[in-house]
Amino acid sequence: MIVAERKPLDEIKEMIKTFKKVLNVGCGGCTSICFTGGQREVGQLNEDLENALKQEGKMLRPDGFTIERQCNGDFYPELDEIANDYDAILSMACGAGVQFLADRYPSKPVFPALNTTFVGIDRDIGWFEENCRTCRECVLGETAGICPITRCAKSLFNGPCGGTSRDGKCEVSKDTPCAWFEIFKRLKEQNRLENILKIKPAREWRNQTRGTMVHEDYQERYAK
Amino acid sequence: MVDFVQGPLISIAFIVFILGLLFQWIQFFRLTRKKEWGHPPLPREIKPEKKTAGKIVASCLTSLKGTLWKTDPVLTVVTTVFHVLLIGAPLFLLGHNILLYQSWGWSLFSLPEALSDGLTLIVLVCGAYFLGRRLLVARVRAITTLYDYVVLLIAVAPFLTGFFAYRQWFHYETVMMLHILSGNIMLITIPFTKLGHMLFFFLYRFFLGGEYGFLRGARTW
Amino acid sequence: MDQAISNQDMKEVDAKKIKELLNRRKGKMKRFLSYCAHCSLCAESCFLYMKYKKDPRYMPSYKVIHSLGTLYRKRGKVDRKCLNEIKGIVWRNCVLCGRCYCPIGIHVPSMIAFARAVLRSQDIHPQHNEASSESWL
Repeated sequence: MIVAERKPLDEIKEMIKTFKKVLNVGCGGCTSICFTGGQREVGQLNEDLENALKQEGKMLRPDGFTIERQCNGDFYPELDEIANDYDAILSMACGAGVQFLADRYPSKPVFPALNTTFVGIDRDIGWFEENCRTCRECVLGETAGICPITRCAKSLFNGPCGGTSRDGKCEVSKDTPCAWFEIFKRLKEQNRLENILKIKPAREWRNQTRGTMVHEDYQERYAK
Repeated sequence: MVDFVQGPLISIAFIVFILGLLFQWIQFFRLTRKKEWGHPPLPREIKPEKKTAGKIVASCLTSLKGTLWKTDPVLTVVTTVFHVLLIGAPLFLLGHNILLYQSWGWSLFSLPEALSDGLTLIVLVCGAYFLGRRLLVARVRAITTLYDYVVLLIAVAPFLTGFFAYRQWFHYETVMMLHILSGNIMLITIPFTKLGHMLFFFLYRFFLGGEYGFLRGARTW
Repeated sequence: MDQAISNQDMKEVDAKKIKELLNRRKGKMKRFLSYCAHCSLCAESCFLYMKYKKDPRYMPSYKVIHSLGTLYRKRGKVDRKCLNEIKGIVWRNCVLCGRCYCPIGIHVPSMIAFARAVLRSQDIHPQHNEASSESWL
C-alpha cells in the first residue's frame, strides 16, 4: 500500500502558523497502517504543533478530525459539515488524498503534513519497503516476481551491470542484494532460465503523465 | 365496528398509503442531491448502439448470469413470482372488480376465479417458503426478529383470509372482516416499515449511483 | 505514547456528542436501517463472509444492524463496553472494501463508515498493538 512519512515538525509549523483556525484531517487508510497519518498521529501532531508554536509566542492548537479515506468522496460528508469553520486545513493523507481534499474545498488553503514516499509492503511491524514504482508496464512475470525498476539500483532491464560482487551484492552497497542475481537464482529454481536471455526493448516509461483509468464495465456510464 | 372497517377505514388506508409513499418520495429527493457529472477521457468513443429486441433479450439473459439467479435460483423464482402476484392477483380479482364497479362504475379486467384462487395459493406457498427460510437458514435467522415475522404475517394475511373467504371456511363474515382489516393494515404499514422497499427499490437502484445501480444513477446523499 | 492508549479506556463516553452525530445523519441512516428487509442476500457479496466459512456475523446486514443499528436503538446512550464491541464489528469484521451488494440498494459502506466516525468522535479507533495481531485497518 501507499507509504508516507511525516514532514519535519518545523516545516509543518511554518505552513500553518499564520492561520487562526486550522483543522488537521487524518486518514484511516494507508497512512493509518503505516503509523503516520491516523487518528492517533493527528492528536500527536496537534500537541507537538501547539507546543512548538507556544515557544514562538503563538497560541494555536489545530483541531483534529479523521475520516476513513481521503481518496473517496463517500467518506467526506462528516468533514463537509465542519470544514467551513476553519481558515486552513492540514492533511495527513497521501498526496492523492491531499489533492482530493483540496479539490473539494478550493477556497481553503490545504497543506500536506506528509511526504508520500512509495508503494510498498509491510516487511515487519513499522518497517516498510518499496516494491513498486507503478510503471504501468509490469514485467514481474518474466523476472520471477522481482521488480527490476525498484530493486535494481540502476533499474536495468536486461541483466546485471557487471558490478555484482562475488556474493551477489550490488556495487552500491554490500547490504543490497543484486536484483538480477536474485532474478537469476529464482528463474533457475523455477526452470525458466530462458527468460533471462530474452531482450526487452526500450520501455515507454508511461508513468510520466497523469493517469486516468475508467474500468471497462463503466465506460458507457461516462460516455457523453 | 364492521361498518367502520368496511367503509371509512378503506378510504383512510388508501389515503395513508398514498400520502405516506408521497412523503417518502419527497423526503428521498430532499435528502439527496444531483451529482455533478464529470466526463473522464475515455480510451475509445462510445457509439450508442441500436438495440433490437433480440439484442435486448440477449443482453438481459447474459446479465442474469451475474445476478442472484446464479447463487440462489429457487429464491429468485419464488421472490419474483411472489412480488408479481402480490400486486397482480388482487388487481385482477373478480370480487374486487365487482366492488370497484359498484362503487365507481368502472373496473379492471378480471381473471377467472379458479385461476385467481390458484394464484392466491401460489402466493401462500411463496409466503411459506419465506417463513421456512427465516426459521431454517442460519444466516437469515441471525438477523431475524419478531418484527420480520409480524411483517410477513401482515403481507400474507390478506391472501390467507381471502383464500378462506373464497372457500367460505370458518365464519364467513368474520373472515371477510379480517380480510378487509388485514388489507387495510398492509396498506397503512407499507410506507413506514420495511415493506417500503416497494418504493425504495426503484428509488435507490435507479436514482442513486452505485456498483449495482441501474441506468446512470446521478443522485447522491 | 502509552498515555494515548490508556486515555482511550479512561475517558467518559460523551453520549450527547454521539446523539448529535446520529441526529445529523438520521434521515439517511434510519431510512437505510428500516428498509433493510433482513433478506441476507448481501451475505455472499462480502469476501470476509465467504472467507470465514459463511459465518453470519460477517454479513453486511448483520454488521450494520449490530453496529449502527445498536447506536440508533440505544439513542446514543452506550457505555464503553458496548462501544468496544461495535469497534470489533466495524473494524475487525469489515475492511470497507465497498463491494457489498444489497438488492434494495442500501449503501452499506457508508453506514459502516458512519459508525466508525461515531466511534472516532469518542477517540476509539484501532491501536498499534491491535494492528499487528489481526488486520484491523
